[in-house]
Amino acid sequence: MSENFVSSNDTQLVVFRLGREEYGVSILQVQEIKRMLEIARVPQSPDYVKGVINLRGNVLPVIDLKKRLGLLPGEYTDDTRVIIVKVADIVVGIIVDAVSEVTSINSDSIEPPQTIVSGVNAQYLSGVGKHEDRLLILLNLEAIVGVGLELAKNS
Amino acid sequence: MDVNQYMGMFLEESREHLQALNRCLLDLENDPNNLAVLDEIFRSAHTIKGMSATMGFTLVAELTHEMENILDLLRKEQLKANESILNTLFKCVDTLEQMVEAIAGGSEAGLDIKPLVGALVKLASGDNGGITADLAPTVSSEDKTSDIIIDATEANVIHEAKCQGLQAYEVQVNLRDGCLLKSARAYMVMNALDELGDVIKSVPAAEELEKENFALSFSAVILTGAEAQKIQSTVLSISEVDSANVLPLAETDCVSQEQPKAGQAEKQSQITTKPPVKTAGGAEQTSSSDKKLKSGQSVRVDIDKLDSLLNLVGELVINKTRLEQIGLSHRLTDLVETIEQMDRVTTDLQSVVMKVRMVPVGQVFNRFPRMVRDLSHELNKEVNLIIQGEETELDRTVIDEIGDPLVHLLRNAVDHGVESPSDRQAKGKNPISEVRLIARHEGNNVLIMVEDDGAGINPDIVKAKAVEKGLISQAEADKMDTAEAVRLVFLPGFSTAKAVTDVSGRGVGMDAVKTKIEALGGMVDVETKINEGSKFKIKLPLTLAIIQALLVEVCQEIYAIPLGSIDSTINITPGDIKTIQDQEVILLRGQIIPIVRLAKKLGAENSSSENREELFVVIVHMGEQKAGVIVDTLIGQQEIVIKSLGKLLAGIKILAGATILGNGQVALILDVGTLMQ
Repeated sequence: MSENFVSSNDTQLVVFRLGREEYGVSILQVQEIKRMLEIARVPQSPDYVKGVINLRGNVLPVIDLKKRLGLLPGEYTDDTRVIIVKVADIVVGIIVDAVSEVTSINSDSIEPPQTIVSGVNAQYLSGVGKHEDRLLILLNLEAIVGVGLELAKNS
Repeated sequence: MDVNQYMGMFLEESREHLQALNRCLLDLENDPNNLAVLDEIFRSAHTIKGMSATMGFTLVAELTHEMENILDLLRKEQLKANESILNTLFKCVDTLEQMVEAIAGGSEAGLDIKPLVGALVKLASGDNGGITADLAPTVSSEDKTSDIIIDATEANVIHEAKCQGLQAYEVQVNLRDGCLLKSARAYMVMNALDELGDVIKSVPAAEELEKENFALSFSAVILTGAEAQKIQSTVLSISEVDSANVLPLAETDCVSQEQPKAGQAEKQSQITTKPPVKTAGGAEQTSSSDKKLKSGQSVRVDIDKLDSLLNLVGELVINKTRLEQIGLSHRLTDLVETIEQMDRVTTDLQSVVMKVRMVPVGQVFNRFPRMVRDLSHELNKEVNLIIQGEETELDRTVIDEIGDPLVHLLRNAVDHGVESPSDRQAKGKNPISEVRLIARHEGNNVLIMVEDDGAGINPDIVKAKAVEKGLISQAEADKMDTAEAVRLVFLPGFSTAKAVTDVSGRGVGMDAVKTKIEALGGMVDVETKINEGSKFKIKLPLTLAIIQALLVEVCQEIYAIPLGSIDSTINITPGDIKTIQDQEVILLRGQIIPIVRLAKKLGAENSSSENREELFVVIVHMGEQKAGVIVDTLIGQQEIVIKSLGKLLAGIKILAGATILGNGQVALILDVGTLMQ
């Protein structure tokens, strides 16, 4: 049953919410999802770096995804979650408004990002997926995290 | 027996003991009369012998056995530790090292130990043959007579036993020559005797037997209903027992023999009438722990296990913090109190676990004195190796890797760095050259320096060589300053042994050193002055190193300042701050010290120090420079574990890393050097 359900063309996504839009990242990049926790501010870091957290003895940077994508910042609520992702050996947390579900989406229903017009800089996107009657914005975590590396170096 | 599962342990322990042998032999060389060192050498050799015999590596066992003979003679002062003996012993250690490495590589084969064994035997018999020959008969003659002294209590016990129809026998056991596990055999004999009757005493005492503090024979007194022949056959059935004499013990023997040797009787009166094998446990433990303290007690643990332990402790701390919050928010006094106690335990647990991973660099440094000694002998140079800061701790993973680069640097220092004694005298220097190996913490790094007082590196020759080899162009060379030129030695391709010897500079494998250090996330640099010497500096990050730090608070944020860069903390009033050329300064003991407002520097808001009458200032230093850092509150001194901030935040220079406090909170560690700029 499940074999039919997840075919080779399917990508499994962790779906989360930022503002009123839904976003997705590949489940393979997600390590775990945490409730909001205590974050230590890091001085002289790029403004979208919220700070660092202690995750079982490891110090990890946390990125405020809304700030990173240039969206309007909002208050943290009970639904706010930190998704711990691993991108090219770098483990970081990203703050999202809420995590809604894990779903699978067929690769055919993913379109390249240039067709999207939204408030988000296209380089941070890897595409948009149609799932049932919803649109999921797929993030390019490499760009989101990797570009941060350069900025941190310049500052 | 399947010995493979013990292989790793065997190899590691052998290496450790070989290192100890090396170190102690060096000590012995400096002080040939030091019996304590000899004892340690003997113990190490003995352990290697025992282990290798158990593992079935007979060649290693044979060689160590022969070494032991010599050492024993040295210990008994029947031989004097002279140069030829020491050199032979050093050679033995080298051969053993090769053998152990060969075993690690999969086989014991290949090495011919006969010449060495021959040399050892010759040394043992050599000039001192008379003494050894004299020794042998006395040992065997002792075997025949009863050497057991029975004190009054024991005599009493024997008497009572006789009334019950038991007979007291003295059992003299001789083990086969070359018996490898003497204590085990002795134990087996004792056990066998125990089954036949009650063993009331033994000579030497049971704990001495267990420590193998006897030659090849020992005796025991047994109370038994069995016949003498039965006892003898039982004992002889144990392997490696050469002969056994069973003599009936008359009551009168005891008392009469006690008198002349009263001195010994006192010592033996400690032995109770119970079977010594059984009492041995407790007594042995205390005495052996006394002895072993010196060599340090340790347990080998797989580093992965430590990693997971560390993570588990981290998780425990987080959950404890959560419990704490629950207790506070629901006002459960009982819970809060209990958690406070738990807090103390977890904090200790955490720091212990983190410390466990740290290893002093001394572990690597240990083998260098021997290496430098050999090398300087070989090159006819006199080199004094000075090691400092061997207690500096580094993460285990780093320790394992820095050995090779340091060997390179030290070899270079001795080979190419320092001059021959005659050259040195010609230059008006002390003919004995000095090579220093220094380790110490510096901020977020460990600094390891290899310094020599030799000829230094001539930048012009280095440049010329580099140009000749086509590594740089002449134009580039002309533009270079001295420091840059000297750094050319790190270029790959610069170094071939010959070229370097020609320029009497250095660079053998220098690029390899550089690559290795950089792979560890460190840096290597060189400073040199012609005719004054060179200094190679290796800077290694301590990704997991523990340092002492002062925790300070600024705007409700906690930061750690490494204690190594702190001079003092003082209280001042805002009036003490003066301004010189737009720079705030204070005057401290006649010294003008610039002020850094930490809150401002870190872009933090709502600093409580802004409108206060009393300001807390931490005086920090970096090299000769000093600065006063204004903070809101001083929290206290604490040992912290430095964690990397990760690649993403690596570019932030003002932070040297982060640490996790006992309550799970992250505190950032300040880089004092950057802070002062």
